[in-house]
Parts: sequence; C-alpha cells; structure tokens
Amino acid sequence: MKNIIVCLMPGATFDKPTAGLLAAARGLQPQLTIIVPGIVSDDTTAALAGQADNVICASDDGLDEYQPEIVLGVLQSVCSDLNPDIVLLSNDTYSQEIAPRLAGRLGGVSAGDAQSLSLDGDNLRITRSVYGGKAIATVELRATPAVVWVRAHSFAGLDAKDAPGTIEQRSITVEGDAAKHLGATNIVERHAESSGEVRLEDAAVIVSGGRGLGGPEPFEQLKDLADAMKAQQAASRAACDAGWVPPHWQVGQTGKKVAPELYVAIAISGASQHLMGIADAKVITAINTDADAPIFKHCQFGLVEDYKAVVGPLTEKLKTLLS
Amino acid sequence: MKILVCLKQILDPDIPPRDFAIDRDNRRAARGSANLVTNIFCENALETALQLREKAEGEITALTFGPSSAEDVLRKALALKADHACLVEDEAGEYRNSATTALVLAAAIRKLGEFDLIMVGREAGDWGAGQTGGLLAEQLGLPSVSFVDSIEATADGVTLRRQTELGWEKVEATTPLVVTITNNDENVPRIPKTRDIMMSARKPVTNWKLSDIDVTCDDITAAGTALEVVDLAIPEKTTECEFIEGDSIDEKIDAFAKRLASIVQSA
Amino acid sequence: MMLLAALNPAEATREVMWNISHSWVMYMLLVPTMIIAGRGVYRQVQKWRAGQPAARFDRPAERIKRVVKHVLLQQATLRDRFAGVYHFLLFWGMITLTIATTVVLIHHDFSIDIMRGRFYLYFQSLFVDVLGVLAMTGVAMLAVRRWIVRPKKLVYTDESTWLLVLLFAILGTGFLLEGWRIAATNDPWGNWSPAGIVISKASLAVASVETLTTLHWLVWWFHMALVFGLIAWAPYTKLLHVLTAPLNIYTANLDAGGGTLKQIDFESAQSFGINSLEQFTWKDLLDLDACTECGRCTSVCPANTVGKQLSPRDIILDLQSLLDRNDLASRNSKSDGEQPDEYKPAFPVIGQTDNLSSDALFECTTCAACVEICPVSIEQLPKIVDMRRFQVMERAEFPQQMQDAISSLEGRGHPFKGTQLSRMDWAEGMDVPTIEDVDAPEVLLWVGCGGALVDRNQRSTRALANLLKQAGVNFAILGREETCTGDPARRIGNEFLFETLATQNIETLKTHNIKSVLTSCPHCFNTFRNEYPKLGGDFEVLHHTTYLAKLIGEGRLTLDAKAAERIAFHDPCYLGRHNGITDAPRKILKQLTGSAPAEMEKHGRQSFCCGGGGGLSFVDEPPDKRVNQERARQALDTNAETLAVGCPFCTTMMEDGINAVKGDREMVVKDIAEVMWETVSRE
Repeated sequence: MKNIIVCLMPGATFDKPTAGLLAAARGLQPQLTIIVPGIVSDDTTAALAGQADNVICASDDGLDEYQPEIVLGVLQSVCSDLNPDIVLLSNDTYSQEIAPRLAGRLGGVSAGDAQSLSLDGDNLRITRSVYGGKAIATVELRATPAVVWVRAHSFAGLDAKDAPGTIEQRSITVEGDAAKHLGATNIVERHAESSGEVRLEDAAVIVSGGRGLGGPEPFEQLKDLADAMKAQQAASRAACDAGWVPPHWQVGQTGKKVAPELYVAIAISGASQHLMGIADAKVITAINTDADAPIFKHCQFGLVEDYKAVVGPLTEKLKTLLS
Repeated sequence: MKILVCLKQILDPDIPPRDFAIDRDNRRAARGSANLVTNIFCENALETALQLREKAEGEITALTFGPSSAEDVLRKALALKADHACLVEDEAGEYRNSATTALVLAAAIRKLGEFDLIMVGREAGDWGAGQTGGLLAEQLGLPSVSFVDSIEATADGVTLRRQTELGWEKVEATTPLVVTITNNDENVPRIPKTRDIMMSARKPVTNWKLSDIDVTCDDITAAGTALEVVDLAIPEKTTECEFIEGDSIDEKIDAFAKRLASIVQSA
Repeated sequence: MMLLAALNPAEATREVMWNISHSWVMYMLLVPTMIIAGRGVYRQVQKWRAGQPAARFDRPAERIKRVVKHVLLQQATLRDRFAGVYHFLLFWGMITLTIATTVVLIHHDFSIDIMRGRFYLYFQSLFVDVLGVLAMTGVAMLAVRRWIVRPKKLVYTDESTWLLVLLFAILGTGFLLEGWRIAATNDPWGNWSPAGIVISKASLAVASVETLTTLHWLVWWFHMALVFGLIAWAPYTKLLHVLTAPLNIYTANLDAGGGTLKQIDFESAQSFGINSLEQFTWKDLLDLDACTECGRCTSVCPANTVGKQLSPRDIILDLQSLLDRNDLASRNSKSDGEQPDEYKPAFPVIGQTDNLSSDALFECTTCAACVEICPVSIEQLPKIVDMRRFQVMERAEFPQQMQDAISSLEGRGHPFKGTQLSRMDWAEGMDVPTIEDVDAPEVLLWVGCGGALVDRNQRSTRALANLLKQAGVNFAILGREETCTGDPARRIGNEFLFETLATQNIETLKTHNIKSVLTSCPHCFNTFRNEYPKLGGDFEVLHHTTYLAKLIGEGRLTLDAKAAERIAFHDPCYLGRHNGITDAPRKILKQLTGSAPAEMEKHGRQSFCCGGGGGLSFVDEPPDKRVNQERARQALDTNAETLAVGCPFCTTMMEDGINAVKGDREMVVKDIAEVMWETVSRE
C-alpha cells in the first residue's frame, strides 16, 4: 500500500475538479489522506471525509487566503510528518505553482497535467499529452514523493465511501526551513475579470471562437448564442493573442483544458495545441467554411457554412427550442 | 536590476501533424525536417525582461542548457539586445527532464553571480512539463511566483501581475526572486532589427561544459532517472464527423440547432 | 496700289510691336524674370542632385519612344477622358503659342523676316488663333472640373486657383490684344485670325479706334507682366511639371511594371531602407517635383478606396513639401567612421505626416495601380517599400501579423504561421514526381507556399498537376526542398530575408540543373522573372496560364465539353500589371466557354487588387475596410457564376470576400487550372 496524499488549496470546496482529483487518487488505491490548508466549511470537510481515510484541516495563523509561501510551508510541514509516497494536486494555477516546489522541498520528483494515473510495481506512472497534443507520453516517477498535479476534470467523481474517514484539525506553525521565504511574496489584489462567471473548466457548454472571426466584434454575436445555450464563452489562442478577447478565455495547450458536455468551435481551424485543451469534451461540434479543417476530425457532427450566415438564425432557433 | 532569463530551444511546435514523427528508441520526437525555435514562453520572458529594462536600469543575461545548436536562441537574444549570453552545453544530448534542467541551470546561475530576478517560461512547447521554474527556485533556495505576465520594479523589489483561472492578481515581492512567465498581449515577443541580427553574430557567448559548473554525470543521471519516459506514442484519432446536410442553409441550421438543443437539455 | 500689294498673300504680314514703344523696358524686365525662374529651377535641380545615384539614361531609343507616347501624344494622360482632353488642348495650345512668340522674337529681334506670306497666314495667324481658342476651351473645362464637378481626388489649393486665373487672363488678354490690333490697324489679313476678327468687330461697335489703341497699349504691358510673372513663378508651383514631367517620363523605370525595388548593399548601407530625404535616388526626388496633383494614383489605390489612410498622391505631395522645406545641400556630411548604434536621419520622413505614418505605409498591397496610372511615370510603390524597409529592418516596428509571417519565413521557409499542412500533403495519392525521380524535367513545377500550405489551394494545385500529367509533360517538383521565393519578405520590407531566401533557392535550382520553372503563383513568377536575375538566377519562368494556353495550342490538351457557366476573370496584379500577362488566361477561358470572359470594369493592367499582396493577406483588415470585399462586389456585379483567377492568394482572398458580401447571389471562385481540369478530355 502506498501513502497517498491529496493536497487541496485554501478555500477548497467539494466541487467537480476536487471530486475528479479524488477519483483519480482513489483509482490508484482506496486509502488516502487529504490535506486542506486554511479555513474550510464543515460541509466540505464532511464531503471530503466521504472520499478519504483522513482529512487534515491544516490551519495557520496567517492563512485564510492563498499565499504561495505560506501554503507551501504548511504543506511541507504536514507532508514531512506524513512521509508520503505520492502527493496529488489539482490543476488550478495555485496547485500548479505549488507542485514542483513541494517536490523540491520534500526531495521528490514532480510532474504535471496527468491525464491518467497507474501504479507500475512500486512506481507511479502517468500519461500526459506532449508536443502540443501530437503525442502521448507515459512517464514513470521513480523518486519519493512523486508530486503530480492532475487534469482533474478528466476524471468522473466517485460516490462517497461507506465509512467516512476521520477529520483532524491541525494547527500548524510554519517554522525552520519551511518558513524561509515567508513574507517574500504577497498577493495584494485579486481580480476576477467578471464576477459570477462559471470557471471555463466547470462549464457544461462552451461556445468558442477563433481566428476566422477576424476581429473582436463577432464575439458579441457569439455572446447571444452562448446566452441562448447558457454556455460560457472561450477562444483559441489566435483570438486571444490578437487581443480580441481576454487571455483567460484561451482554451488549448497553454490555456484552459476544458471538459464540457458540449464544445461548439466557431471559425476555429483546430491546431493540435487547441485540440489539446478540448480532449476531454464529451461532444465537439464546429461551424467552419472549410470541410477539411482539422477541427472536424474531432467533431461528432459539424456544419460547413460561414458562421456569419449561421449565428444569427441559430441563436433565434435555440432560444425557441430551449425556452 | 540584474535579470537572468532562461531560454529553451525546442522543436518547432507548429510543425504540421503529418510531419511529426517519433524517435521510438529515444522516446522523443524525431527531428525530421522541423526547425528548432526558442520556446514561445521563453520569448515572452525575454520580452518581459526587455520591457523591464526599458523602464528600470538593468542588465539582462540569457542562459540556456542544451546542445550546441541552442546557441541560436542566445544569438537571437543578443540580437534583441540581451547584454550577456551563456550556453551550458549538453554534450551527451540525451533526453533531459525538468529536474536535470533545473539542476544544471541552478549551478550555472550560481557561477554567473547574483541576480535580482530569474525568469523562465511557464512551460515549453515540447514536453510542456511546467516544472522547471518551481524546481529551479528550490534549487536556488529562492521564493517564486508563477504565471506572471508583467513586472514593475519598485523601491524594494518588484510588483507582479499574474494570471489566475478567472482573472489576475497583483503580487508584491522582494528580490531575489524566480518567476515563471506566461503570455499576454503586452509581452508578445518583439523581433530583432536586421542590423542587430548581423551584429549579434559577433557578440561573445560564454560556453560552458557541465564540468565548468561542477555538475557531474552522476548528478545528471540521478536527477534524470527519477523521471523517465517509458512510452511515447502518437494518439490515433478515429472520430468520424457527421456533416449536417440540408437542401438550404435554413434547413441545415434547423437540424444543427436541434442537435445542439438536445445535448444542452441533457447536460 | 498699297491695297493690292497688301492683298498679295505672299506678302502677308503684320507690324510687329505695333503701338509699343520703349520695348527695351520689356527686355530689362526679362532679366529678373529669368533670374527668378532660373533660381527656382536651379534650386530644385540641386535638391535632386543631393539624392543617390540611379542609372536612368540607358536605352535612349526606348526612352525617346516613351516621351513621344506620353508627352507628345499624351497617351497616359488621355486615359482619363475629360482631364486628358483638356490637358491635351492646353498642352498643345500653350506649345503653339510659345512657338508663335518665338517666331515673333526671331522676326523682330534677330531681324529674320519669317513672319510673312503663307507661313504668316496659315500658321502664325490661323493655326495659332485656333489653338489659342482650343487652349481657352481647355481652361474652361479645367474650371468646370475644378469649380463645379470638384472630384475628390484633386487637391484644392490657392496656388492652383491662381494658376488657373492666370492662364485665363494671359489667354484672354492675348485675344484682346490681337482683336484690338486688327481693329486699330484695319488689318487686311484680320480674317485669318477668326477669334481676333470677332473681337475686333465687337470692339469697334462699342469703342473708337483711338480708345482701342490706348487700351491696346495698356493691356499689352499688362499681358506682358502676367506672362513674365507666370514664368517667374512657375518653377515654384506645380507648373514645374512642364519641365519635370517630360524629364521624369524620359528617365522612367523601363523594367518591371510596378517599378523596380532597389537592392541593398548590406555591408556598406548607412541604413537598411529609407527614412531621410537624401537617401532617395535623384530620380525619386525628381518624381516628387513631377507630380501634377492629378490624384489618379489615390483614386485607383485599393487601400484608399476602402477608406484606409494610405494615399499614394499624398505620400508624394508630403514628401515634396518636406523636400521644399529642407535644404538637402546643407546636410552635415561628416562621418567619424564609426557606425552609430542607431541611424539618425538628417531629414526624417516616416511619421512626419499622417500620410507618411507607418500604419499607412503598411496598408499598401504593392499592387502598383498607382504606378501604372501615373501620367508622368512617378514610382510611388518603390518609395513605399523603401520606407517600409526602414520600419522593418531598422526599427522592427510593423504590424504584428506581418511580423509573424516574417518569423515563420525565417524559421520554416513559409509565411503561414500555424498551418496544419506540410509541403507534400496536396500530392498525397497522386504520384507526383519529385526532382529526385526525374532526370531532366521539361519544367520544374514550383508549387509555392500558397499552393501547398493553404487548404483551399490544394484543389488548384492538384488540378494543375493533373493537367500536366494529362498533357504528358515531363515535370517534377522540389518537394520538401522548396521554400518561399522571398516575395512576401521583400514586399513587407525585409530585404535581408528576401536575399537570404532568394540566394538559397537559386542555389537549390542550380544544384538540380533546372532550366525552366513553372508556377501558378504570380508572386513567385514575378520574383523569378524580374528579381532573381539580379541575384544571379536566370531561369526560364512560366506562369501556368501561359503554359496551359501553350499546351492547348500544341494540342497536348484538348478541351472536351464547353463549360456552360458564365465565367469572369480577375487579373492578379503580379500577373497583369507587374508582368503584362492578360491575354493567356482569357484565351483559355474563351476556348472553355466559347465566348470571351465577363469583364469587370477594372481589368487587365487596370485590375483592382484582391487585397492580398504586399503581405496584407496575412493581416486581418478592419471588418469595414476590406479590399477583398470591394473587389468581390465588383466581381458579383458581372453576374457571372464563376470567378476564375490565376493566383493562390487571389483565390482565398476573393473566396472570403465573395462569401462575405454575396447575400443570396451565388459565385464560386476557381483557379484557371481547376476550371480547365473540369472540362479537359481525360484518358
């Protein structure tokens, strides 16, 4: 049996990515420990306990919101105690930031964006997309602990176990080596581009636009379409790089990796880097003038038409159909 | 401000899928006809550094670890007016992972001197591991911030803007500091002036072997084998797209809308 | 007796300087007039001389022919009917009047008795009088256009108003003088001057001979003052074109249609590209002073037509006014031998006015419609590229998407950043021979990046390869060894990259011992044909339209069915205008359909750009200012079912444009090769 620890970030709730992350961990073995730094609600703790043997709520005086050096210090302190073989994290920016540093501090090895996890004898193996989605690599992590952040959305959440695990409140004082950079960095402002927006990673339906739109204006039109479908809007890298929409709309290798039920790609040709971001979508469909566009090779169904002639009437039809 | 920018030379990530092939023995991409380029996020990092130097006095050192061909990325950095350039040559030229890279870069940086800011790209367009920045910070014993897209110098350090899921954060930090850089519309890499390209060929590049920075093959092997690629394959994609048919565009849109609606309703 | 003698036509003449005493005053005044005028001309000549060298006095026979065509016969000017006609009238009217004045001078001052007899009657009286009337008609037409029609392309300045008034006054007073002289002297030959006799009769009806004599004296001096004033002032106005235009036409570029881009010596060039007046050649500077402000270049400019900033006329005029304001001779030419870190222009041009802004310069599609239309052979395009070069190579400041194209060219040898295709994808399953497979091919098929790496154009390229196979042509392609010819790099302004790519390609072709290159891309064609020879690459170059027409002519391809559809043809700029090939594609289409293709108003050498040249096909234009949509509207107006093109860039630009504006009209875009492959007899 391995000593597997799942590290969450401050403010964690039992949402879709957390459920996916825990499912990934439980796929390796049923026994695991969850560390939640900071303040966490009882409901969340209870839900987490349904998924694990132990839930450690690790609090520190200065820790109510994410600060990299404090979170790192707390996780380092707890992990040093527990001596894990495997540490798993989610795919949010904070987890991605922490993973390699935690590995460095614990003397382990780190990897990211795991799409599947398995145990090969003693070692953890993960698969991940590489070369801009053109290849899949299987990577074996041979040092302990193996610290990995997981593409959490790729995993379907599991039901709670029959017997919930224990819940432990642990008050941590970050000190010694773990405390060496406390105060060196300080997040002083946090901005959400638009409040109340569902994270792209959690969206059930996504309407995405690409370079073929030719400018920022058509995204306004796509907004009506997205609203009709209660969808989130996204974009390809070309559209973000051109400044037509904000960078956090970007889906792809270097943007968001999304897993919606439906992904509608409009005027996106489908570079492999973009396809990497939508590999986990259940249904992909596209509107494009070019039937040979690579995007169609990944679509269940598609419409070969100019989006200009389609979007308006389509929006009206969907409004009627979905009202 | 003394700035160090780490650069990585990679296989052109824009190579068409049909030209992409795998070297199965070495479990890496075959070079084929593809050219080698500077990793885009490394270019974003260099651009961010250049903009920072325009606003605050400073010096930029470009550092890379790779085969001798990686000198090209340094020449390009010099053409963009980096002040110094240093290549740590990977004589063996085997697969290197983030752990070995961080180890070598840290050793080289210690030998190069003190820096206020060490900048790396958030990930590379080949393996996309996204680990080097964090590992390098730990190797050097420095704090770090990831996904930074702009930097301003302040009296006692730097103010950073970094991207998060839904937006951005402002981070105040002391130096020395390691940052990983992501792209936004302000750090789109500039291109060099032709005269500067011509001049860059004549500028000096510090060329070190691993022995010059006191890294042994054993160190490399230890870090390298901790993380091993055991298989590399090109995924098969077999989805057959059903194109919506119809006698008129209205009919097609109608059929398309119904398909969409049924999925949305069940979602 | 007197009367009889006077009526002998052989003795016909008139008294020169009648009613004028103290004519020495006139000669006294002529001195300062000529000094002022001379100074004006000299000043400009000095400015041109400050420019860089350019060899523009070779091939005198060809040059004289151009002068005959475009100066004496006014061919280029006459392309604009109304303005052409009045300019023709004014041009020949003023020349005739000048000759007449010279005749008077010879007769009076050199005492050579030539104003006599039939020459006096037919030429000096009748012909000159008629031409004077025609010149006056010209002035009237000019006034109508400038004051009533007021076309947008003209520049409305006080200077041009005063020049018009002055011309009118000079001609008008001339006629009055003639009429009053005839009246006062009761000239027996007065009927030989039709306008003069009318004025004479009309004046006698209202005034006495004495009054007319006095008026004649007054108006004579006034007329003289006006003429001298005009002579003195002309070199300081756009009337300078009377001298500069013929000179400019004589020294015009005789090579490529759009004007020849200069080569750069990268070892010694002070800067790569131009950002200072004196860096232009003397011919470039002469161009500025040759401009007549007619505005034709701007009115045919595709970028300007769709509402962009770019205006070739205003680029020339703004440069001209910079040339006016700066004393090029004063340039401090001291050089300390060390290359400064950054080139500091002595007389900067880029960004000095809105028309010279970098943004405007990069709106140019290099279609060369401006160069083609200019009646005085001004080369706007090479100057635009010269300034672009500075922005690209010295400042690295130009549109992001062009930067992407350049970076891609540097790294990948093609400008299509992010294309999912590779060079050989189009040939999949077609068994197309590469150069390794064929020993001595008849032609090398140069596919071009546009033909290989853009999804849409794969169909065209396949059609062309199929046609070649059908015709039994022994051809080969370079395959992976092919790279961009360098055309986009050169038009965008990266001459360094162009030279690198061109040198490489020439080397590759020489290695494979290629003699003949066939391409479907007019940009590749133009580069091979007009630009590679200067870098040592001499190959026979064929555009596929010409080659396919030849294959039909030789019976190697037979056309099977008559294509039923109505086809219009869009001339690619780099085929028609830059290289004069307009017949071959039409010949093919005529054989396909049995009738000549439908024509847009702007076709042949006057074709309107698809918007894709000059690196603009890589740039997203503002949605309301798209050249391809403007051209698409013109194409749709022909009501043809198919728009045939002969260029991969035109294909995609026109297809996008038509899809955007067609509404419920239908029109498909096909390369000529595609149209042919549909109808050719196949084995």
